[in-house]
Amino acid sequence: MQYTIFNRKPVNSLKEPMFFGETVNVARYDQQKYPIFESLIEKQLSFFWRPEEVDLSKDRKDFQDLAEHEQHIFLSNLKYQTLLDSIQGRSPNIALLPVCSLPELETWIETWAFSETIHSRSYTHIIRNIKSDPSDVFDDIVRNEEILKRADSVSKYYDAFIEYMNLYTMFGLGTHEINGKPIDVTLFELKKRLYLCLVSVNVLEAIRFYVSFACSFAFAERALMEGNAKVIKLIARDEALHLTGTQHMLNIMASGQDDEEMARVAEECKQEAEEIFIEAAEQEKQWAEYLFKDGSMIGLNKDILCQYVEYITNIRMQAVGLNSPFDVKSNPLPWMNAWLVSDNVQVAPQESEISSYLVGQVDSEVSADDFDDFDL
Amino acid sequence: MSDEVKVEVEDLVPFYVSKSEPLLNSLEEHDIRIEYQCRSGYCGACRVTLLEGRVDYDEPPLAFIKENEILTCCCKAITDLKIMRPL
Repeated sequence: MQYTIFNRKPVNSLKEPMFFGETVNVARYDQQKYPIFESLIEKQLSFFWRPEEVDLSKDRKDFQDLAEHEQHIFLSNLKYQTLLDSIQGRSPNIALLPVCSLPELETWIETWAFSETIHSRSYTHIIRNIKSDPSDVFDDIVRNEEILKRADSVSKYYDAFIEYMNLYTMFGLGTHEINGKPIDVTLFELKKRLYLCLVSVNVLEAIRFYVSFACSFAFAERALMEGNAKVIKLIARDEALHLTGTQHMLNIMASGQDDEEMARVAEECKQEAEEIFIEAAEQEKQWAEYLFKDGSMIGLNKDILCQYVEYITNIRMQAVGLNSPFDVKSNPLPWMNAWLVSDNVQVAPQESEISSYLVGQVDSEVSADDFDDFDL
Repeated sequence: MSDEVKVEVEDLVPFYVSKSEPLLNSLEEHDIRIEYQCRSGYCGACRVTLLEGRVDYDEPPLAFIKENEILTCCCKAITDLKIMRPL
């Protein structure tokens, strides 16, 4: 196959698989093979928010009053989240769009990636507010050993897939001589790399974000950095939706209803998929250790956070049909759920304390005696 | 008592819940701890296995559920239920 941005062949996308069929030509949504992706798009659009809506003026003072080891916890998590969303803001488009075959899935991928760019923008909003020079924080992301270790495992499955997918879109299937070396491009290997890539994305959304979420909410439980917690709540709401999108893709693949070979791939990769989850859980536990190296914070310590990582890893693995490896039966941070509920994320500006909206508001309450001092 | 159905969770003592309440609310009233997050059907955290009985949703939920699973946050019982929590 040679990639074309507009496939001129008449295609019935209802008969195409999610990936590696004919490329999408007409972006039409009147008919859908998987209406769930259309519903996810609608939901994501209804979630739209802007970082500037959240007032962070109190956070600046809170941050200055935090103990040094707590500032370390806060900033490190922010750096890690910045890394994760830098990756997620671009990679679904680069990796998945060229091989996607359904218009509704294509648009879900774009909508999903776009919302990650809002998250990235919100980190700039937060960092600008607490640091006079944001570069101190941003520059450290590509210098900090602990972050770089994670960048490596988050991006390696993407890179492995993108490299191979580029050969496929350029030369098609078969054996090709590249830089003097023969390279076999097979559909099975492509599907395998795609499946593992999606598993690693699922891990990113389902587990990697949550250590940071827990710390943000633990600060807010003490009425500290509450503006930040509000932003994180909005991010967590989006991530829960993205997680559902990826779980749908993985489960559709594993069921074979879409592409029988994909089901064989999923079966063959089961062990490797489990290892990706477990490796991420171990890394997150090490991350918790790094966060608390100079001291814990009230309400949270390394051990509880590690148990929480194990707990959510179990749940996420079950959701995609994998065995849960850890022996944690109940949620060690039950108060987290209350922060993650989306019901109380306020979306109607007139009902919330969104300062940018309230600034310049006219006091429209008029009582009978308001005109008492008027003389005509 | 036509609005109530019997719910059995694993081997706990069965209890009665309203057909018009989301199942998760009723389970919480009976101190049954269920993981939850969005409480509006898109995150999937509250899924449990349905062993017996039928439930209904006001609108089809977004989260992925297998055929024998239900989302407690947004389903309502139609008949007596037997459910099992994950883990």
